[in-house]
Formats: sequence, structure tokens, C-alpha cells
Amino acid sequence: MHAFTLSELEKYDGKNGRRAYIGYKGRVYDVTDSFLWKNGVHQALHQAGKDLTREIKNAPHGEEFLKKFPIVGYLLDDKH
Amino acid sequence: MAKVAREMVERAGIDVDKLVELLIKNAAAELTTYYYYTILRANLVGLEGETIKEIAEVARIEDRNHFEALVPRIYELGGKLPDDMKEFHDVSACPPAKLPENPDAKSILKVLVEAERCAVRGYTQICNMTAGKDHRTYDLALAILNEEIEHESWFSEFLGEGPSGHFMRRGETSPFVSKFLK
Ligand code: HEM
Repeated sequence: MHAFTLSELEKYDGKNGRRAYIGYKGRVYDVTDSFLWKNGVHQALHQAGKDLTREIKNAPHGEEFLKKFPIVGYLLDDKH
Repeated sequence: MAKVAREMVERAGIDVDKLVELLIKNAAAELTTYYYYTILRANLVGLEGETIKEIAEVARIEDRNHFEALVPRIYELGGKLPDDMKEFHDVSACPPAKLPENPDAKSILKVLVEAERCAVRGYTQICNMTAGKDHRTYDLALAILNEEIEHESWFSEFLGEGPSGHFMRRGETSPFVSKFLK
């Protein structure tokens, strides 16, 4: 499985036809096909191409919604 | 735009552009839900379907009321509805509540309850963002949230998830939101 650095993940921001990937707890999910991640933006507040692990704690839901999306890789920590 | 009203919200530390975007997304969710519920209601037929039809109709009308109630606040805060209705549909804060492939009463109820749950999440978020900061948006989002929670509990009761604790509305719709519609 592909290992993403944070700067590589940034390229998958869902803009201009690019795919929308999000980092969550070390995994990278492909949310391109979600109605709620169009253009890589979720609920006007969150942007794809980033590690959103911390942001979920302020969301009105938990990680259960991520389960239906494919995992396309894992996230290397900041040192890489 | 209500210039000072917007300024007060900004000064309270809210990113007003993001808040307005969220209000537009939720307004889109309400209007599209109204549309999709029209189709769901039409397909609630037979002994089981007829039992739910009336209550689905109340939820449908109240969701349209929520759209009506949100629009003035969007403009007050300097926002506007998109010119293109197709665009409006696609920015919805909730996925389309489409008629399921085998539209029996149970599968329609599942679509209805999921739509309501999405709305409960959305207005909880707006309440969290505005509490103690943007009193008018908070008051509005809370009124809508009260009705969305009742809708969720009605449909979940029909799905056998336990008693809703409510009766069907008697007479007027939108007991919480009606003050914004006058
Ligand atoms: C304040 C922040 C957030 C808000 C207001 C929000 C709101 C929502 C809402 C209303 C839904 C629809 C739920 C339903 O259908 O009942 C949703 C779905 C979802 N959210 Fe969030 N969310 C937030 C943050 C996040 C974060 C940080 C992530 C990722 C780590 C995330 C990932 C998802 C996913 C994957 C879905 C499912 C999309 C689908 O089914 O197509 N959300 N969110």
C-alpha cells in the first residue's frame, strides 16, 4: 500500500478534477465519490488533502462514516 | 445586508463567510428534501405506506418551512442563494433522499430517518458554532433542530427503534420555527 507524506497528500485536494484523499489515524481514505466531499470540501469547513484526525473531535459524528470509503494508503508522520 | 448585525457576529469571533456557506448548504438540504420527500410520500402506498404518509407529509412541509426561515438570515449576513438551482442542489449539506430501488414502507422509512439524522447533525453543528456568539442564528438553528429531532424520533419509532415520546402534530405545523415565518 502506498505511503503518503503530508506534502504528497496535499496534492489530492479534490480540486480541478483531482482526487480527494483525507488522512485519518494514519490511514488515507479516498472520498472522491462522496456527495459531501465535492471539490474536496466538506461542510464548508474541512478540506481534503490533509490529515483530519484532530478535526473530527469537533464534528457532529464519529469515524463511522469513513468506513465505507476505500483506503488507498497510509500516512507517514511529519518527520518524513 | 444588515451591516451591523454581521459585524457583531464577526466581532464575536465567527468566520461569517463560512457560517453563511453552511446556512446555504442547509437551506439547500431543506429544499431538496422537500422535493425528494414529495416522491417518497407519493410512494407510501398500501396498508403500511398509508400509516406513515401523513407524518411524512408533516416532515415534508416543515422542511420547506425551514428553508423559508433560513433564507432571510442568509441575506442579512451578506450571503445569497446561488443563481443556478442545479448548483444549489449540489451544495446540499445532506445527500439526496432518493427513492430506494424497492420502495416498500420500511426502505422508505430508512431514507427518511437518515435524512433527518443528517439534519440533526447539521443544526447541532450550527448551534455549536453560534452559541453565545450569534444569538439570532443560534435561535433559528435551535428552533429547526427541535423540529428535526422530532422528525427523527417519529420515523425511528416506525422502524421499531423504540417509542418516540411524541404524538403527531395536531393542527399547525412547525411549532418551533413558525415565529420566524410570520
Ligand atoms: C465540523 C466538522 C464537520 C461537520 C459539520 C460534518 C458534518 C457531516 C454531516 C452532516 C454528514 C452527513 C451525516 C449523515 O448522513 O447523517 C457527514 C458525513 C461525513 N463526514 Fe463529516 N463533518 C465534519 C467533519 C468531518 C471530518 C473532520 C471528517 C474526516 C475525518 C468527516 C468525514 C465525513 C465522511 C467520510 C462522511 C460520509 C460522507 C458520505 O456518506 O458520502 N467529517 N459529515
